[in-house]
Amino acid sequence: MRASLLFLAIALSLALQLPTLSAQQPAPDPASESPGTVHSRHALVVRGAKIYPISGSPIDNGVLVVLGGKIEAVGPASSIAIPADAYVVDATGKILMPGIVDSHSHIGIIGNPPVTANVDANEDSGPLQPQLRAIDAINPATAGIRIATAGGITTANIMPGSGNVIGGQTAYVKLRGKTIEDMIIPGTIGGLKMANGENPKHYGRRDQAPMTRMDVAALARQEYTKAQEYKRKWDDYNKAVAAGNKEAKPPERDLAMEPLVQVLEGKRIVQHHTHRADDIMTVVRIAEEFHYRVVIHHGSEAYLVADELAKRHIPVTLTIVDSPGGKLEAINVNEHAAAILEKAGVKVAINTDDDINSSRFIIREAALAVRGGMSEEGALRALTINAAEMLDLGDRIGTLEKGKDGDFILLSGPPLSVYTKVLETWIEGEKVFDRGNPADLHYATGGYDVADRYPRFNAAAGAGGAQ
Amino acid sequence: MMPRRLRHFLFALALVTSAQILFAQKIAIVADKLYTMGAETQGQPGVVLIENGKIMGVHGGNEAPGGYTVMHAVYVTPGLIDTKTTAGISGAYNIPADQDQDEQTDPNTADVRALDSFNPRETLLQYINTYGITTVQTAPGTTNPIAGQAGIFKTVGPKTLGPTVDELEVRPVSAVVFNLGESPKQFYGQKNKAPTTRMMTAAIIRQGLLKAQAYQKTWADWNAGAKKDPTKEPSRDLKLEAIGLVLRGEVPAIFNAYRADDIDTAIRLAEEFKLQLILSSVTEGYLEAPLIKQSGAAALVGPTLQRLESMETNNASLEDAAILAQAGIPVALMTGFEAYVPKNRVLLFEAGVAAANGLGFEGALRASTIEAARILGIANRVGSLEVGKDADVVLYDGDPFEYISHVTAVLVNGKVSYQRD
Repeated sequence: MRASLLFLAIALSLALQLPTLSAQQPAPDPASESPGTVHSRHALVVRGAKIYPISGSPIDNGVLVVLGGKIEAVGPASSIAIPADAYVVDATGKILMPGIVDSHSHIGIIGNPPVTANVDANEDSGPLQPQLRAIDAINPATAGIRIATAGGITTANIMPGSGNVIGGQTAYVKLRGKTIEDMIIPGTIGGLKMANGENPKHYGRRDQAPMTRMDVAALARQEYTKAQEYKRKWDDYNKAVAAGNKEAKPPERDLAMEPLVQVLEGKRIVQHHTHRADDIMTVVRIAEEFHYRVVIHHGSEAYLVADELAKRHIPVTLTIVDSPGGKLEAINVNEHAAAILEKAGVKVAINTDDDINSSRFIIREAALAVRGGMSEEGALRALTINAAEMLDLGDRIGTLEKGKDGDFILLSGPPLSVYTKVLETWIEGEKVFDRGNPADLHYATGGYDVADRYPRFNAAAGAGGAQ
Repeated sequence: MMPRRLRHFLFALALVTSAQILFAQKIAIVADKLYTMGAETQGQPGVVLIENGKIMGVHGGNEAPGGYTVMHAVYVTPGLIDTKTTAGISGAYNIPADQDQDEQTDPNTADVRALDSFNPRETLLQYINTYGITTVQTAPGTTNPIAGQAGIFKTVGPKTLGPTVDELEVRPVSAVVFNLGESPKQFYGQKNKAPTTRMMTAAIIRQGLLKAQAYQKTWADWNAGAKKDPTKEPSRDLKLEAIGLVLRGEVPAIFNAYRADDIDTAIRLAEEFKLQLILSSVTEGYLEAPLIKQSGAAALVGPTLQRLESMETNNASLEDAAILAQAGIPVALMTGFEAYVPKNRVLLFEAGVAAANGLGFEGALRASTIEAARILGIANRVGSLEVGKDADVVLYDGDPFEYISHVTAVLVNGKVSYQRD
């Protein structure tokens, strides 16, 4: 398929544009270099922390070795040789875990503050927008991206909004770099955002389609039917070319159809906003009709159809909010949802839907899932490997294993405690957030736009007595 | 399958047990760590004795006297007080049928009372009750420069549905609410009506206060006179009467302000009319702590978990409450208004964030209980576990502010409103 080859070519060229340092350069003393640039010449070693690799049990006094942005080794101090001239970070007394993967975010596509000038999430000119790409609207300079690193997030699926039946193509990014090309994970093409339920029905208020759930579904089915025909034409053409037919003429390219064909071919996962149990089952019905892969997003009532999702192996990424309501389809939001899904055997991730929840508080969402009965292990997987797998990135991120990306965070205490702070966030061996750095601190606390006027305050000293 | 008779017996037993707690007149709450928020050392083992809805005794140790139904918990605190919310008048469904927080027809709606919209059976009130919030000050929303009258009410939980608003009221009219900043000018501006600027918002408020002063004088003159000619008796005006409450200091004036200069405006207007000032939201308050301290105002801070949807909330800091408290300003916490998902913030969660960001455990607990009660003028009834006060008590299985702890039971006026299965 020509379209997917094109994407591969783009992805490869992006990969080549990533800053690389020649191995021939003389290696300076690591102590004189900033940790931001040292990794490409020296191993980065983080030692002393309790490591949660997620792929296995926690390791006391663990060592993590990152080389060239990839994990070289992880294990107990007794079993890992520390390379000579390594850049060593002492993390004694801290917790180290994989960088968090936010499987549903709008950072950069909804800017800070989210006034109209900064908001590009929903193309309200029509309900079917498969040709739109999140990468064409994400602003890498937006504060939200740094706020997310302050929350421990290293990878995000940045999506168009939920106002359209087909909202557009999502972007799988690392939270680093000055341009979207720096951010995109090489080789990825993103997912496809779709939505049903209340939100796409907003067209009804201006007497446009869709105004019912029936038509939301009909529009989606119609579009995939078209995509099947478009794919057939290209398949016929490609077969003719392969058979040596030099007269064969390529069909006209259609930017809206290309991502849908990728969905039909299983190369692009449908990332589907849906809340009510019957809407979730409509998503399942249409995915089964067209044989595509789908992840349920929000899934406020997914717990009511947990068995149906479990037996079909359909994963759910939950947005865990403080209270029910705000819209009818979120009225049955339930503290126990994650636990019920986990027990039923559904793969669960946890997302922010930033700006519904702040990216600062993604770990808090996982903790609230535990409050509702989810296992602590399940909650940590929901923040990392489960989310990575829902983006087809499970072989690359989400656990601390040899060969995976060197994306990790350092925490001041137990991961799910309200008193724990994200101290540092590292992506592929480079530090992108450091709570000890005054320029970074106010992305964690707030007040980053008035940092020059922010009063001197020692939060550790406290204002109201110790516990 | 157990025999039917056994099932019936167990069911009846369960009913009796839960009924005992639900209808018990005498309850002893035994805590591993008791936080009374009174004068004694906090966090020690202790017992709270409850009879007929009131606290009849508090003592150390873990021995409950005979004749009491005993409830045990790891942590016990007073019921939490949300000092400003729209819970009760802004419902969970978020459809016109259940939204009664903003009378968006006139920038001066001083005459409206939260009391008259308050729905004690509202889902969100029950919901926050299960997180230990037993008292709320429910206030009109953020649209109108002069928004109306707030009221203070107890909450009901899943086990205490049914009371009317009159049974729940602590102070039916507790404050008059004024709004500054983006909200008023945004709403009326899009309709090409005043106010379209912050200048006009302040002018509308000053005009209202001036008129109310004149109205007071008219009545004072009439009352001081011989009242001989009934045709000359002044006519009543409910808006000006309400504003008169803050002019006479009978209730505080709550000014909702986010941006630092809006906080300045609130202080300027309060000084001009000698109002008892309470600031709410106070988002950029941490930039103005000395000024707020000097004004004598109290601060209702929050919510910090809110969606940062506007220019004026963009600088929200998790350390706001801590910085203000450290400056010596009386600080309590609030959840305010949410327009979308989630429809309501939870004061317990707000307090946890404040505790972890400089306010500390006891500081955050004070700001959610006794300090909140003092600021709202209701400390004679609620805010601490002391003899003679209302038996509003929260039981937890761990540190109340830890995300993974649970509220195990809530009592309002001595009745169990929520109990965890």
